[in-house]
Amino acid sequence: MFESQSSLSRRNLFNWGINGLGATALASMLQQSASADIGPHFEAKAKRAIHICLIGGMSHVDSFDYKPELEKMHGKSLAMDQKPDIFFGKVGLLRKHDWEFKPRGDSGLMISEMFPNIAELGDDLTIIRSMVSESANHTPALFMANSGFEFNGFPSMGSWISYGLGSESESLPAYVVLNDERGAPNTGASTWSSAFLPSSSQGVVFKGGERPVRDLFPARELGADTDRDTRSFVNAINQKHSERTGTDPVLAARIRSYELAAKMQSSVPEVADISGETQETRNRYGLNEKNTSDMGRRCLLGRRLLERGVRFVQLFSGGPIAGSPRASWDAHESVKDNHTLEAGRIDKPVAALLSDLKQRGMLKDTLVIFTTEFGRTPFAQSAANQVGPGRDHNRYGFSCWMAGAGLKPGTAVGTTDEVGWKAVERPTPWHDFHATVLHLFGIDHEQLTYYHNGIQRRLTNVHGEVVKEVLA
Amino acid sequence: MRTRLPHFAVCLLTSSLFLPQTTSAEDIDFDSQVAPILASRCLECHGGAEPKGGLSLTTAEAAAKGGESGAAIVQNKPAESLLWGRVDADEMPPKHPLDAKEKRVLKQWISQGGKWGTSPLDPFAYTTDSRAGRDWWSLQPLKPVADGVSIDHFVLKRLSDAGLQPAHKADPRTLIRRLYFDLTGLPPSPEEVQSFENDPSPEAWNKLIEKLLASHRYGERWGRHWLDVVRFGESDGFERNNPRRNSWPYRDWVINAFNNDLPYDQFVRMQLIGDKLVGGVEGAAATGFWVAGVHNTVVGGSRRMKLLARQDELEEVLATVGQTFVGLTVNCARCHDHKFDPISQKEFYRLSSAISGLGYGEREEQSAEAAEQLKDTEAKLSVVTEQLNAIDSVARKAIIEAREKGDAREPELPKAFARWEFDSDLRDSIGNLHGQFMSGAKLENGALIVDGKSWVQTAPLAKNIGEKTLEAWVQLDNLTQRGGGVISIEKRDGVIFDAIVFGEREAGQWMAGSNGFVRTDSFEAPQETEANSRPVHMAIVYQKDGTITAYRNGVPYGRSIRKAGLQTFNAGDTEIVFGLRHKPPGGNRQLSAKILSAALYDRALSPGEIAATAGNPSAWVPEEQIVEWLPEAKRKERSRLKTQVTALNQKRESQARLARQRIYTLTPGGGAVTNVLLRGDPDKVGDQVTPGAVGAVSGVDADFGLAANAPEADRRRQLADWITSHNNPLFARVIVNRIWHYHFGTGIVDTPNDLGFNGGRPSHPELLEFLAAWFRNNGYSIKKLHRLILTSATWQQAGYIHVAPGQKDPASVDAANRLLWRMTPRRLEAESIRDAMLAISGTINLQMGGPSFEDVKVTANNGTNYYTAMAVDGPQFNRRTVYRFNPRGGRSSLLDTFDCPDPAATAPRRAVTTTPLQALSLLNNSFVLKTADEFAARVAKSSPQNVAAQVKTAWQLAVGRLPTDEESQLSQKLVMAHGLPALCRGLFNINEFVVIE
Repeated sequence: MFESQSSLSRRNLFNWGINGLGATALASMLQQSASADIGPHFEAKAKRAIHICLIGGMSHVDSFDYKPELEKMHGKSLAMDQKPDIFFGKVGLLRKHDWEFKPRGDSGLMISEMFPNIAELGDDLTIIRSMVSESANHTPALFMANSGFEFNGFPSMGSWISYGLGSESESLPAYVVLNDERGAPNTGASTWSSAFLPSSSQGVVFKGGERPVRDLFPARELGADTDRDTRSFVNAINQKHSERTGTDPVLAARIRSYELAAKMQSSVPEVADISGETQETRNRYGLNEKNTSDMGRRCLLGRRLLERGVRFVQLFSGGPIAGSPRASWDAHESVKDNHTLEAGRIDKPVAALLSDLKQRGMLKDTLVIFTTEFGRTPFAQSAANQVGPGRDHNRYGFSCWMAGAGLKPGTAVGTTDEVGWKAVERPTPWHDFHATVLHLFGIDHEQLTYYHNGIQRRLTNVHGEVVKEVLA
Repeated sequence: MRTRLPHFAVCLLTSSLFLPQTTSAEDIDFDSQVAPILASRCLECHGGAEPKGGLSLTTAEAAAKGGESGAAIVQNKPAESLLWGRVDADEMPPKHPLDAKEKRVLKQWISQGGKWGTSPLDPFAYTTDSRAGRDWWSLQPLKPVADGVSIDHFVLKRLSDAGLQPAHKADPRTLIRRLYFDLTGLPPSPEEVQSFENDPSPEAWNKLIEKLLASHRYGERWGRHWLDVVRFGESDGFERNNPRRNSWPYRDWVINAFNNDLPYDQFVRMQLIGDKLVGGVEGAAATGFWVAGVHNTVVGGSRRMKLLARQDELEEVLATVGQTFVGLTVNCARCHDHKFDPISQKEFYRLSSAISGLGYGEREEQSAEAAEQLKDTEAKLSVVTEQLNAIDSVARKAIIEAREKGDAREPELPKAFARWEFDSDLRDSIGNLHGQFMSGAKLENGALIVDGKSWVQTAPLAKNIGEKTLEAWVQLDNLTQRGGGVISIEKRDGVIFDAIVFGEREAGQWMAGSNGFVRTDSFEAPQETEANSRPVHMAIVYQKDGTITAYRNGVPYGRSIRKAGLQTFNAGDTEIVFGLRHKPPGGNRQLSAKILSAALYDRALSPGEIAATAGNPSAWVPEEQIVEWLPEAKRKERSRLKTQVTALNQKRESQARLARQRIYTLTPGGGAVTNVLLRGDPDKVGDQVTPGAVGAVSGVDADFGLAANAPEADRRRQLADWITSHNNPLFARVIVNRIWHYHFGTGIVDTPNDLGFNGGRPSHPELLEFLAAWFRNNGYSIKKLHRLILTSATWQQAGYIHVAPGQKDPASVDAANRLLWRMTPRRLEAESIRDAMLAISGTINLQMGGPSFEDVKVTANNGTNYYTAMAVDGPQFNRRTVYRFNPRGGRSSLLDTFDCPDPAATAPRRAVTTTPLQALSLLNNSFVLKTADEFAARVAKSSPQNVAAQVKTAWQLAVGRLPTDEESQLSQKLVMAHGLPALCRGLFNINEFVVIE
């Protein structure tokens, strides 16, 4: 729906988390839809989502996409009809998977030992094995996976969903970002900035420590009384001012924003304080182990945020892309070494999150999203006559998975060719993936739009088809 | 394997079987009714060189011929026409079937004989419900407007048509405050408010306007608006996000242009082709426009990735050019004809051809004035240096003579850690770092020959290397090569390295290469002109504190740099390579050259030692030896001269920096022969195009009259002429609407970058015509336009009005105030909030121009730059926000929450949100607290010991008025309990400070 930025509509003034006061885009959309007789939206299966976003590119043929043919063809060269669009351009010989694959649970989904804990929950996963991307270059690919565009300046899934649905909590932001302790992804705030959407739909970074959100408390100690009395003063003066000016929505919204700010000051530390969680829970999330403590803490915090009404939580696995040793999933040198380390950091915490959500009955309306920028090549990144230990970027076919709300569990959709080089059955571009996520939230991806520089922008650009095969 | 394969369910859209029946035998006109449907709904697939299913609907002949499945149109018989059948079944167009009205038109047309009109189809002829044609309002010539009308005339007419009244005039205090923020982005002083309240006459108002338009603060405020539109940012964006520390000259140029009221047509021409119009620093600064946006510096290895990245750049820039100057979203026509506006895909590529010389980078420009001063300093320097040399040469001669007699110390050549002579083998003549030929490297006449493919690698080092010096004698095959390494110390996998590199970032320049440019910066040295004709001695010294200094033939090469700490290379995992920047081999990393000898030192050599290694060692006399030799009087004189030389050198350095200003700006390459790319795909090359623009814009010729291979500057010049033509109606419409937007918060068209079909419709169409024509006839003077607007009754209306009981509330008719029944109260923009706090606290530093102040920490992590906000203190940080270093993603929490855009794309209007995070920022941010303290200190000084008087002053400074009794009491109470800083912090948070009526 068109939303005029210049009009002082209520939702522009009262945004995130103000139930009862603020209309969200979807609410106004439905309203307008009703009058324009566009028809109903879908039933919303998901109320909230947690997105585990891998930086660097996870090898699908070593994790979620079992390729027995690749094993047979180990050491042979792959016939290709054109020069592949990979990053470094070195095409070595085919390399078999470095981890053992096993059928899992009742569904029998083949998942490798790279993720022993997540694999145990195979019956809860919905894997898409035929993802394709338009870029084999990190930053454009990361932008693409999040925003549907390869460039700076487009809102990500989290922003769109926050814009569309707002937050269920008055005192927590709709969209929260938790970075890897090794650093933020290269794109930094551009990954979660609201771009052209109102700034209320930007991702808010929660850090560790006593001040998880910037400017939550005075930058230096003021004394509780001083702070409280100053706020009362501001409020009193604003009330007097309103009496003189008459009702004005901008002024009223500012008064309300100070009330909500005060609530945030108690709700943010409360949610970030995990000291009340049991030792058993901490163990389960891996908080007491060196490798898993970072992701464990964030997964646990993620669950707490979701429980309190945050709409979209985004966790990054991996920090800056370049460098040595690698701090991301960019396994050019050795998939075995790199992925052992990276998977070791997140396998246990993510599995704990999934089972915890399930145990609490939250998985039925919570979407867990697990994505990677792209996959990795079935051939080694080495000289043409060698089977080197590393693999290059593969945008032609890779795997992502989702779990929870509205999905068909224990399923894999789409396939790559016999060695895992290119998607062949139901190739799934990011626009389709995003359309599906929105669909699960009850949003028609063609209807959630925002006018920007000449066009009604959407998360799915001018593309996107819901991957019906994953729906329950 | 028991993977369940999904069902591929085909979802059929249920189609309506009951179409509305045509009630009358309406005569269908092909050109105005059928052609627009075919053009907008069918041609994307059924047109072009490879129409889908073999069916093309572009010409009468092709349509008659039909496609692979047979005849598409059977005259008079819709039922037998495949076209109708597929459309009727909602199979075509796929996913988005035609609506009932469109279907009725098609069916009726076939029933009536299916006669074709204009052929080939002219999809742009008419405006329809779904798109704009060439008859679109904004593309038409400016309409003449009757004499003697005014802004108020048009506004009142629309109001009275809607049964509304304008608001009363705002009170003087409100007006002067509004005017100050509008024109300068800063609040008036209490005295200025007082004086205007005493005399609010029209004359006083005019004087006030003149005063503010003449103030330099005006250009800083309105320049900032322009920087939003051209998405000016000070880093590259994307993965590396390198800072651009030399892009500020563009920002300064814009501010000065506004202050000087540079006529708008010249203002735009300068940005497009200033390098050719005036050249020099000014031309280079102005054309910074072209490269103000993001730039991806990591585009991947494949040809396709490179081509796509280039197309993305061109689209990004065309989007900005089209939207900024003519309000057209030309970028939407890259892959297909514009879906909403009459802009063909071919026209996109004609525009692309016009800007195909686009190049990003730094240029060095001369400023005549600074060059003059530099010459003067250099003359003085040479006199002093000569005197110094005269003293030294006597000493040196005597010392060398003495040496030959054997009675003076002879300095030893510094001892290398490893040295390769390349006389007959690759052996290290000192240690064990013997080399190994790779890919056909060879030795010839006592030199190592590398040819762009071959290279040499050594055995691993057995020692950790921290401080170091790399050295080589090298003769290049050519000076045009870009990026090869002479000698490189690297981690064995090539991921970390330090190297002597030629031409990588800047053509013809030596560079200290490093992984991800972490330790790399320009030496800002003269161009290499000799290294292809004779060997040169290059050395790079890496000191403990991170300082890197290069030497060429024994003398310092440009300036020293320091970007990051010293890199230590670990024993066992480090090697030396020659002829290669770093592993893996390939790309632009390899060198074509003769390397005559090379050495690695495990320490940082002194300048003297470098001189010795570069020349005849026995001719090198260390300075201390000279000083020692001199008699006392000469020694003193030498010391005095030395001091002078140092001072003059410093002066020279800063003058040289100005005289040779490095500017991040357009660095045009040659224009490229451009072809249409089908569906925007660089592998699907279509027809060649010549440079040109959009034909649908009336009054200007879209054909530039240039050949496809015309020189780059000619193309840009023609584009600039087309855009700024007196007859281009969009040129004036777009800018007057923009200026209106900034004065009122909303444009007459509420989408200032888009006057096309998807943009807004003008709220006051005649007013827009009037303003555009007026502006054009008044010499494109923006300041004149400000005066016209600011003296109107419309602009001077009150913002808050009280509706008497029983009276119609205007908000119920026009909540968005598009009809201007009042002035919309506006929340201050992020920059104004910060600037106003600085002004009120009395700490604002009004220094204009020059390099930006940086309140972010730049951390380079493996080639990527991260920007994190830091709490800063000091007058250099109290400059206006327009001078803040503004890297992409380098947000400031205060500015960010108040909707300051990240400069990723053109931002014609800012969102205005109200969030709890804003409240938290304004209450708690370190800048706010610090500035509140300074505000309090200022107030305390004004009337010590008198709280009532302090409260008065504080209110006057913050909001330009005295507090009411009640406000005063509340304020005093707060001050008594918690001190003045609490009140000052509070005042920064009240609505009246943040929202301007």
